[in-house]
Parts: sequence; structure tokens; C-alpha cells
Amino acid sequence: MAQQTDSFASPLAARFISARRKFDASTVVWGTIAAILLILIVKPVYHLAKQSFLLPEEDGGGWTLLNYFTAFTEPEHYYPIFSTLYISFSVGILSLILGAIIAWCISRTDVPFPNLLRNSVLMSFVTPPFLGAIAWIFLAGPRQGWINIIYRAITGAGPDDYLVDIFTVGGMVFAMTLYTFPLVFIVVLAGLNNVSSDIEDAANIAGGGTFSTMINVTLPLVMPALVAGLILGTLEAMILFGIPAVLGLPAGNHVMTTQLRAFMSSDEDMIGIAAAYSLPMLMTAFWLVYMRRHVLGRRGYATLGGKGGQRRPQRLGPWRYPVFILCSIPVLCAIVLPYFMLTTTSFLKTIGHGLSLSNLTFDNYIFIFNNDAVRISFYNTIMLALMAATAATLIAAVTSYITQRNLVRGHKYMSFLATAPIGIPGIVLAVGLFSAYTQEPFLLYGTIWIMFIAYVTKYLPLAFQTSNASLMSIHPELEECSRILGASRLQVFKDVTIPLFKAGLLASWILVFMPSLRELSASILLYTSETKVVSVMIITFYEEALLGAISAIGVILLAITSIAVLIGYKVVGRDFMRSE
Amino acid sequence: MTGRFLRLGIAGLAAAAMLMSIPAAEAADMRAAKKEGKILWYSSLLLSTSQKVCKAFNDRKLGIQCILHRDGSGKLYRRYRTEARGKLFKADVIHTSNIGHFIIMNDKLKFIRPYKPKGVDRFVEDFKTKDNRWTIFRASVMVPLYNTKLVKAEDVPTSWLDFLKPKWKKKLVVADPNYGGFATATMIALSNMFGDDYYIKLRNNKPRTFDSAGATGVLVARGEVLMTTGTVAYGAFDLIKKGEPVKMVIPKEGVPFVASPASVLAKAPHPNAAEVFMDHLFSKDTQQLLADNGLYVGHPDVKYPKAQTPLSALKLLKVDPQEMKKRSKPIRKKFTKIFRGILTEGKKATKKRAKAARKGKN
Repeated sequence: MAQQTDSFASPLAARFISARRKFDASTVVWGTIAAILLILIVKPVYHLAKQSFLLPEEDGGGWTLLNYFTAFTEPEHYYPIFSTLYISFSVGILSLILGAIIAWCISRTDVPFPNLLRNSVLMSFVTPPFLGAIAWIFLAGPRQGWINIIYRAITGAGPDDYLVDIFTVGGMVFAMTLYTFPLVFIVVLAGLNNVSSDIEDAANIAGGGTFSTMINVTLPLVMPALVAGLILGTLEAMILFGIPAVLGLPAGNHVMTTQLRAFMSSDEDMIGIAAAYSLPMLMTAFWLVYMRRHVLGRRGYATLGGKGGQRRPQRLGPWRYPVFILCSIPVLCAIVLPYFMLTTTSFLKTIGHGLSLSNLTFDNYIFIFNNDAVRISFYNTIMLALMAATAATLIAAVTSYITQRNLVRGHKYMSFLATAPIGIPGIVLAVGLFSAYTQEPFLLYGTIWIMFIAYVTKYLPLAFQTSNASLMSIHPELEECSRILGASRLQVFKDVTIPLFKAGLLASWILVFMPSLRELSASILLYTSETKVVSVMIITFYEEALLGAISAIGVILLAITSIAVLIGYKVVGRDFMRSE
Repeated sequence: MTGRFLRLGIAGLAAAAMLMSIPAAEAADMRAAKKEGKILWYSSLLLSTSQKVCKAFNDRKLGIQCILHRDGSGKLYRRYRTEARGKLFKADVIHTSNIGHFIIMNDKLKFIRPYKPKGVDRFVEDFKTKDNRWTIFRASVMVPLYNTKLVKAEDVPTSWLDFLKPKWKKKLVVADPNYGGFATATMIALSNMFGDDYYIKLRNNKPRTFDSAGATGVLVARGEVLMTTGTVAYGAFDLIKKGEPVKMVIPKEGVPFVASPASVLAKAPHPNAAEVFMDHLFSKDTQQLLADNGLYVGHPDVKYPKAQTPLSALKLLKVDPQEMKKRSKPIRKKFTKIFRGILTEGKKATKKRAKAARKGKN
């Protein structure tokens, strides 16, 4: 018997050994991907850390701790840290409240038009925050904001009185919350959808009322999702650049991201100080990401939908429509009103004379179509988004394939690397890239490629999570079968996995493409005259108060994004943008 | 009379001789420029005007394309330095409103290559330099501007000091010297005249700050603020021409005057095209275009629009180039400190002011 087993086993073993000896083309691919990940993520972080200990080259270079001293002892440097802490926690908590309430309404009640609500919240997620902030100046500027004009008309208050002022810290928190709560919403909704009503029913049968069930049963179950949402909201608010640049600076309110830009655009060489300044931010962000994983990890894949049984909606009775209206207010503030303002402003001839038929024009559109810089920026943006989406999707797909099929030793590190950029704020990444790619022999600064690297790195986690989720649903059996039939690893990947994987790939492609269209925080430090992108164009136009032109660009950007979203829904189906 | 003729004749002969001896070089110049194909212009001239200059150049169909990068003076200078640190030299011609930066770029950084644009000899004396390190491309003044719909005629300030009055609280906008050259020159001029705490007192009125001095005029037109403490006069001229409800004010102490140079950069990637472009900047057509847009220029043959106040009718507050060089940075830092609320007049003065305000009310 033993003899037989041996004779049966040995040819297999022999084949196995010969297969290992034979050169396997796939190892080259896996190796390349690992190298790319290292270059994308480790290199900028390494250079950032190193730069923070270097004296400026102009002063002869050398090692120093002075950067840290300068970065944190001057009042104009450390005031923004306090503002950042205050603002991001406020935004995190407010986003949690908004996101959780709306998610609960959609998931657990019979509120009307839940899909409309859900999709509108997701639409505010794809709206560029800085564009929203600019639109909110038209709405809540102390003098010419429509809200204040209407307020004065109703109350008869004097021309100097106003109800709301967007150029305050409060205004900034408000605007940031509008564009951050969708993130929290997505996480909490997924968490809620995962809790089946069976448990709640059990609580009801055991004598618990609706309210006590919610507090004692549902709440603890979705707690991880809530905490994760809070962390995500806080993190997002911490790393936002556009809104503080638009609403904070006119009143002298700086945050860390705007201060970082100030360092980087100084006439002295302050990159060492900038690096020192960004390290705490980087560390905090990493810590928040770690905490989030930790919290979610304890309860398994809390955010992964599809496990729960039946969900039974709470009946709202006469409150159905009031609740719907309440839930749609944030959406109204985040997308409907801003886009309405942008569209009308884009057709105004003179901005001093308000909305009237004689004051309507296409001038703003003609201006931006005739403006070389705007044309170049649209070209750059679309090229970058196409390239970044393709590259990030490819890298993410191969990486998730390797990690899920345990193909190489150390695949866990690859998975870690591919998700790590979540914890790297865009503007910090840009500082790292600047110090990494302004040194021989890697002179990429000033080219489109440094921005390409920034985009791919920044959005890699998004693509990675999406392809991970969709790859999970493809059982390895199918691949093993083809392998047994003699196909090579790469062949299997190409002919079996990819076709099954297509929808997931496309979802991740679009999920990278859309935010790439509006990326600002990394681009603002990396652009040069010939590599401007649309978001940078909008900010520089804002600095020149070309509000009509900005509005026109915004309308065009909205059109492009909407087309991408529509294609996404068409191809991927209703699940598009469901996963985080 | 004959002497003049003779001199003209000699000049003509000399010119002819030069033309005859140079043709090869000139043609080669143009050929080389054409080969380079483009020129990147860093310009602080307001976007709409810069664009017109660039477009006029492209319309000449020389086979050289003008690419414009418009930003504030301070930002252009810092960008060029940042790019230089990144070993990136993209710009060919630089034009900003901070002459102090040109001195630093020339003396310390060696960024500038002397070039004498065609026809500059005939320019008004103040607009040219002996060694041709730079030539003044255009000049303008910084003027306060108010919204005629929102400010009554009797309330219009007549002095820079009027902006410190409490009635202007939260109604003003101030241009940030971190961004532009006009704002820097203005802050230096006003601090010299009214003392260092002028801007601290101004900050007590909680004005909004805005990057571009030119853009502050747009905010006034929009009615976001009632008045800007200073916008570039040629931008204001443009707004008025468009029919926006704004009007300029000439304070009795005078208005800051800023002359803005242009230079070829030593490390220009398109050195020949840069020279062709410089000739374009100082040609009569371009200089006339600037004058039509409300600017003052050095070309002797230019005709100014009737609506434009001649320079001779204005009391000008000039800032010495060396002072611009020395004080740009400290002034900028001071502005940042003041408008982020770090540098204030101190508790005593605040109390005193509050007391005075109470008295005033009673």
C-alpha cells in the first residue's frame, strides 16, 4: 500500500519540482508589482522622513533637528494645529450624526424614496468640496449671499446685518461636514444592513420596545461601524485642503494643510520644515486608520454586506414625509443649492447686477474655451484620470489576486502596502514626492508623471478594496481547474479570472477615475505651468475672483462626472459605489 | 537744424549698417526661435490683459507659441525659486510687479540675462535700465475702489486714514502682500507714511484679506465688500468699462506707484524665442494695447485713452527699488502675523480703543 502511494506521489513531486525549476513568467509579474508598491508608497514616506532632518541645500545641507523646532515653536505654525484639531473633531462628530441618522432612516424605516436619498448622498460624495465651498459663498456670503439677502428682505434688517457668514470657522465646519458626511453614511449604512432584524425581533418578543431595542440591541451591533465612521470623518476633515483655502484664508483662519502649502510656496527653502510639519499629521492619520481597522476587525467584516437575514422596516406612520424632508436637507445643501448657484452664476454677464434677462450671457463659457490654460488643464485632468484609473486598477487587481490566492510569501505586506495610502494625506504625499523626485537621477518634478504617481498612490486603496471585494466572490476552484488542464498562472489570470472579474475591475476603474477628476490637495503642490489640472485652475481663478469662469468650469466638471457615474451604474448595476 | 538732420542721418546710416551686418544673425535668431517653437511667460499682469498680449503674439504666426502662466508677483517669484530648487527651469520670460525680487534674482541668484528689446532706446527714461537687466513693461497705481450702489457719496474716504474709522468695520477688503507686488509696495508706502501700526489698526476693522489686489475690485463690484483699500488702477479701469457699479478714489496723500519690469531668464529653455517675445512686449502695438487697458507705458508713441488720468496729474507714492528688495519679506511676514491675529496692538491699546469707542457712542 505504502509502495503504491509512493509511486503515485513521486511523479507528482517530480513534476512539482520541475515546474519550480522551469522559469515561471508569473514570478516576474509578481516581483514587478511588489517593486511598484514599494516605490509608490515607501519611497515618498522615506524621503519625507529623511527630509525632515536635513538642512536646506542652500545653507550647505547636513543633518539637523532644527526643522522640528521651527515647525512647532512659531505661533503662525502651531495655531493651525489647534484649529485643525478643533475643526476635524467637530466635522467628524457632525458627520457621524448626519450620516448615521440618514443611514438609519434608509436602512431601518419605511421613509419614502430611499434609493433617491441614497443616490443623492452619494452624488454629494463625488462633488468637489472646494467647488461646493465656492458655491456656498454665493449662498452664505455675509453681504451678497442669497440667504442673507432673503433674510434682510424678510426681517427688514439693515444692509450691514446678516444671518450667516460662511467665512468663519463655523462656516468652514458646516461646508466640510456637507462633503464629509457621505463617507460616514456609507460605512454606517453597510453596518446597519448587516444586522438582521431577527435579533431585533427577539428583543421585541422578550419585551423590549422600539426605542429600548434600538439602544440596547441595534446600537451595540453597529457600534463598530459608528466608531469607524467617526474616525473616517475626522480623518477626511483633517486632510481637506480646498475648503479651508477657499473659506478660511480670507478671514485669516489657517489649518495644517494650508500652512503646509505656505511652507512649500515660500521663497526660502522650507521643505525640511514642511516635512517635519507633516510627520505628526501622517502619524495621526496612520493611527486613525489603524484604529478604524482595529474597531472594525473585532467584529469581523462588519462593513461587508449580504450576510444579514430579512430586515423589517420601522413604520414611521404620519412622520414618513417630514422625516424624508429632514433627511433631504443635507443633500439639498450639498448638491442642489450649490449646483443651482454655479449654473446661474456661469451665465451672468456682470456680477454686480444680479440675475436679469439682459445680464445673461455665454461669455464665461467662451472665455474658458478660449483660454489656453483652461483647455490644457482639462486635457491634463482627463489624461491623468484615465491613466491613474487604469494603472491603479491594474496594480490593485494583481495585488488582490496575489494576496487572496496567497501566491507569494509576504503577500500580507503587499496587502498592507496597497491599503496604507489611506493614511497618507494627499498634501503630505505631495511633500514626500517633491523631495523624492527633485533629486538626481529621478527628476520627475514638473512633469505630468509626478502627478500620475501621486494619483495612483492616493487612490490605490480605493481600487484595492473594490477588487478585493469582487475577487472574494470568485472561487479558486475555477482557476485550479484550468491549472490542472495545463494553463499557466498568467494564462489563467487572463482567460479565467479577468473575465469573471470584469465588473469589479470596471467599478474600481470608475471609483479611481471620478476622484482623480477633482484631485486638489496633492496637485496644488506638484503642478507647474504646463501641468495644471482643472481643480488647480479653479483655485487659481478663485484667487483672481473670476467667479463666472469658475462656475462654468464647475458645470462642465459636473457633466463629466455625471457621465462617469451613469456609466458606472449602467455597467456595474445597482451595487456600484456600495462598497466603501 | 542741419545738426539735427546730420545726427538723424548718421543714426539712419548706423541703423542701415547694423541691419546690413546683422541680417544673418537676425535671421538665425528667428530661425533658432522658430525651432524652439514656444515661449513660457511668467506674468503677474492681470489674466485678461496677459491673455491679450499672448494672443496678439500668437496671432502674428511667427511659428512660436506663447504659453502664459499668470499668478501674483510674489507667488511667481517663489514658484521660480521652488522650481529652481527642484532643478526645473521652465520659464523663459518673467514679468512681475516686485522690482525688489528682480534685484535679488539678478545680484544674488544670477537668474537674469540682460537683453535689450528692440526700440527701447526711445523709451521714457524711467522705464529703461542702463545695463538692460530688465525693462519696465508697464506701470500702474494702487487705488481704493468703492461700490457706488452701497456707499453714499458723502461717506467716500478722502484719506488712507479714513479706513481706520470704526464705521468701516467688516466692510473692507485688503490685498495680501504674500501674493502680489502692488500690495507689497502699498504696505511699504503706507507703513512709511503712517507708521508701522497702520495695518494693525486696519486689522481692528476686520477686513477680509484676498490674494490678488486686482481681484479685490471684483469683490467690490459683486458687493461682497463695500470697498477695497487698494486695487490695481488698470483692473478698476476695466471694471468701470464693463459697466460694473464701481468708482475709484484718489486719497489726498497720493497713490502708490508701481513700475513692473520684464526680463529674460538666464536658464530659459527657449532663449531665442524669449528674445523675440521680449521684442513683442516692447513693440508699439503691445504697449498701445496696455495703454488701452488703463496702464502706463514707456513707449513714446503710445496714445492714452481720454478716460485715463495722466500720471502727471497724480501725486505718486514711490517705493525705492532697494527698499522693495530689503523690505518685501519682512513686510510679508508682518502682514501674515497681523492678519492671523498673532501681532496685535497689545491689551492696553485695545482697552484704550474700546474706551474711546464707548465715549464716542455716548
